[in-house]
Amino acid sequence: MSTTDATNRSPAAPQSHQADSSRHLSPGVRAEFERFQASGDPAALDPVLFAILEDFTPKPLSRPLADLPGNTRLIDDLGFDSLAITEVVFFTEDLFRISISNEEIVQVRTLDDLRGFIHSKVAGRQVR
Amino acid sequence: MQSLPVITGLGFVTSIGQDRASVLGSLRELRHGFEQQEFFGNPNLPVKVAGTIKGFSFPTPSWRDWHWPEHFVVDRELLRGLAPHGVYAVCALQQALADAGLEPAALTDGTTGLFCASAGSPFLLNNFINQMHETRGERSNPMGIVSSVAGTLNFTLAAHYRISGSVCGFVSACASSSHALGYAMDEIRLGRQQRMLVVGAEDLTAESIMSFSSLRALSHNPDPATASRPFDTRRDGFVGTGGAVAIVVEDSALARKRGAHIYSELIGWGQAGDGYSIAVSHPEGAGLRRAMQRTLADARVNAPEVDYVNAHATSTLAGDRSEAIALHAVFTQAGAKPSVSSTKALTGHGLSLAGAMEAAFCALAIDERFIPGAAHLEEPDTACDGLNLPRTSLDRAPRLVLNNSSGFGGSNVCHLLRQPA
Repeated sequence: MSTTDATNRSPAAPQSHQADSSRHLSPGVRAEFERFQASGDPAALDPVLFAILEDFTPKPLSRPLADLPGNTRLIDDLGFDSLAITEVVFFTEDLFRISISNEEIVQVRTLDDLRGFIHSKVAGRQVR
Repeated sequence: MQSLPVITGLGFVTSIGQDRASVLGSLRELRHGFEQQEFFGNPNLPVKVAGTIKGFSFPTPSWRDWHWPEHFVVDRELLRGLAPHGVYAVCALQQALADAGLEPAALTDGTTGLFCASAGSPFLLNNFINQMHETRGERSNPMGIVSSVAGTLNFTLAAHYRISGSVCGFVSACASSSHALGYAMDEIRLGRQQRMLVVGAEDLTAESIMSFSSLRALSHNPDPATASRPFDTRRDGFVGTGGAVAIVVEDSALARKRGAHIYSELIGWGQAGDGYSIAVSHPEGAGLRRAMQRTLADARVNAPEVDYVNAHATSTLAGDRSEAIALHAVFTQAGAKPSVSSTKALTGHGLSLAGAMEAAFCALAIDERFIPGAAHLEEPDTACDGLNLPRTSLDRAPRLVLNNSSGFGGSNVCHLLRQPA
């Protein structure tokens, strides 16, 4: 019997975006995410953020994002378009339980912009 | 002189094969593509069989969990806007373009158009709507709408291949991709486009298939070897399938100028409504009869000249019978006896995909000089008395082939294909 297709999903199969947003991250990145969640250590945030960005980069990358300069532009250098950025925002909102407005998104142009923005957002969340 | 559309490229992701050679072998040897399949993880459901698409899996709505055979390349950039049937479509279109000897760069100058057909993805649409309900409208997947609604194929493929000619999607249920192919022929005949890409595709998910169980349209026969048996007295409904087929249609002058292989000419098409029922075909196949007659008239062909009819027959009680009556009206009454078979006996019913899939089979039959047999047929319905239903595939080269399709609401579409001059 074939069970490989989506025909055989039971009602209990995960379908919700909230089911487990970190499920597709690598074990190492997931461990960093859990460490960040437990300790709030900002140093654990960057590997998670870079993993998300790499996942949503439309074109294959020549080098890991962590090795690229902070002024690398998301659209002009990495090939993101507005939809890809929206996907990153959607995923990030879910993972960190934050809310990002359209006005905030358009201010983010480079890797450093994004890093700084998410750090401040997440810090704000913890304060709340 | 009016331009003549011809078929120069085919791509297949079907239950009976994922390349031309394997599809051809299945059609010649009448090998079906069915497996037992459990829907919704529920062993109590009476529907047990589907025309499976081997090597592809879509276990969750997240593309990160999706798999396809390694020899197909699906770009990350494309994936975000794809439904499962979009993945099939990308793989089929890559094949068709390679088969036609076309590089993607040749598609961007405005002389190439793209007509697609699918019902959208109820699987992804359901997930997307559920997200909005769960978050009370505050948050949902940015790609949710473009990847799930009917039209997702043309959105995604037109953008990816930079198509700047005619772009449209067609929605007439099981006649959808037949409409796409018919109107693609017109684009070329009217001189609006020199080349048209036609893509039909459907998900193979519990949501897409089991919706037809509510209509009591699906077979309950658990045996993959006999569940789909069009025109047989013991037929009890259709077997669902998904997949994708892509067809490259070109102006014959362009095709000949660039030395492309021509599978077949497309010399006519026609359509007619039943004007009868939302879901059941006219009991005497009135709309299908008119669609066949209009197609023959469009092609300036007399019924006795037709060698083979690829019937729409899905293996339902009412539909097959009404098609048999329509075939008698068009052919038997004209003293004609073309070979008739429904390849859905092998593939299952591909819904929006069916018309393009079967037009591609007709083109293969013309090109490879054979007639597909009526698989799984043992006791023909009495309505078929006098029809020529060969039980095995025939090594006979058909010159003129008619392809029939019918959809919900009594939407009937036919094409006539001819051996290249």
